[in-house]
Amino acid sequence: MKRNLVILSAIAVSALAAVAALTQVQGGDVRTEDVTFLGQPVTSEQIALGQEVYAENCASCHGASLEGQPNWKRRLENGRMPAPPHDESGHTWHHSDQDLFAITKLGVGGVVPGYESDMLAFGEILTDEEIAAVLAFIKSTWPERQRDVQARITASDGGGS
Amino acid sequence: MKDANMTTTRRYSTRFSRRAFLGAMVAGAGLIGLPFSLRAAPGATGPAIAFDGDALILAEGSLSRSDGTDGWMELSGPTAGGILSLATHPRRLGRIAAGLTSGGIALSEDGGHGWESRSQGLPDAPVAAVTVATAEPDTVYAAICGDGLWKSEDAGRSWVFAMDRPWLADAERDLTALASVDLATGMGGIWIYAGTELGLIRVPDCFCRWQDVQPGDAMDALVSGKPAPMEAPLPEGETINALVSAASSPTRLYAALPSGIWESQDAGVVWSQKSSTRALAVAVHPANADHVAAITGDGLVESRDGGANWTALARG
Repeated sequence: MKRNLVILSAIAVSALAAVAALTQVQGGDVRTEDVTFLGQPVTSEQIALGQEVYAENCASCHGASLEGQPNWKRRLENGRMPAPPHDESGHTWHHSDQDLFAITKLGVGGVVPGYESDMLAFGEILTDEEIAAVLAFIKSTWPERQRDVQARITASDGGGS
Repeated sequence: MKDANMTTTRRYSTRFSRRAFLGAMVAGAGLIGLPFSLRAAPGATGPAIAFDGDALILAEGSLSRSDGTDGWMELSGPTAGGILSLATHPRRLGRIAAGLTSGGIALSEDGGHGWESRSQGLPDAPVAAVTVATAEPDTVYAAICGDGLWKSEDAGRSWVFAMDRPWLADAERDLTALASVDLATGMGGIWIYAGTELGLIRVPDCFCRWQDVQPGDAMDALVSGKPAPMEAPLPEGETINALVSAASSPTRLYAALPSGIWESQDAGVVWSQKSSTRALAVAVHPANADHVAAITGDGLVESRDGGANWTALARG
């Protein structure tokens, strides 16, 4: 009896944690005051728009939960790299806001001439406002440490690509 | 900027390659049915060389150590296999990481006298190159033949896959040399430089992509429109047998190539040839960027003036 109670409690706690995690990723519990883009505070409306744009344009490759393609560190047969995750397990947070905007708008090849990638240049698909919103949404999902590191990279804009 | 990942087309080097030589040696040993010979003489592979403080650690035929005054002391070496590569860190005197022909890493904490396997999680393939992160002495990188770049943040106790091999001339290329270079990438970390059979390449330690070495960075060049500074790259298509960055002056790089020892003072943009004898391994003193030791076709040599003059180091 006692053992069943323990198991039930564990399941309940796990379920609550899963719901909380999902809520966080879906933007329902985002603290917008912690998120900026290009030095400007981000609003909850921008994040909601970004979440919608992400689902429609990015999730098919980068994953509904920003987890990236499976085995994303291993090169594809054609030599190209799979879509990386945009959560804290990836390297998106190592790039400045300026770089992220440019890569999204121009494609990786637009920033690094000659680079072959399956990533589209979204400049002709999304408006600048939509690109900023989707990046704000991605940033809103990062833990504090990753947001802080990325804010310093953006502030110093040491560049990188 | 050239795209190091995808579009570079370089001539394949037909010159002598240290890895090719080692491969042939190991294959030859197998063919003549003497597998026990490797067990009987662990550490008998090389060539590899590293400074441990002022001391030199040398893997060439056998493993030995010289502290400068009492000549060379023979060490037993790892039992798990021969040594393909060596790495040390100036803040961890006595710690030596060795990449093994049999696969995996061996670690010594006492200057090479005792060795412990640190291979858990690594693929079972030769470790062609190893380096210790300059800012994090417990972070070790290993280049696995036929696989890619692996990373450990606990001195080799556990490993994670970090990055696939670079894509050059329409194929993935093995890494033949590694060097942690303590220069900011602009992405919150520092660089890892690497050698391949086709030349030099580097990756930020966030592992976003392999890229050519160039002055500044891609964004700066695009935004400012400034003319590109002078470049004098390493000879095109030549295998890099070894690569080091001076801890005391990270922009100082030395590379061991079939064409000789090369030196760069600006983190790999402009290179100058410092010797024309085939070079197999190179090490730089942690506190003196002008003090270089190398294994070459002329044997073990040393320079105290950044490669301008070389003298033979006695092994007796």
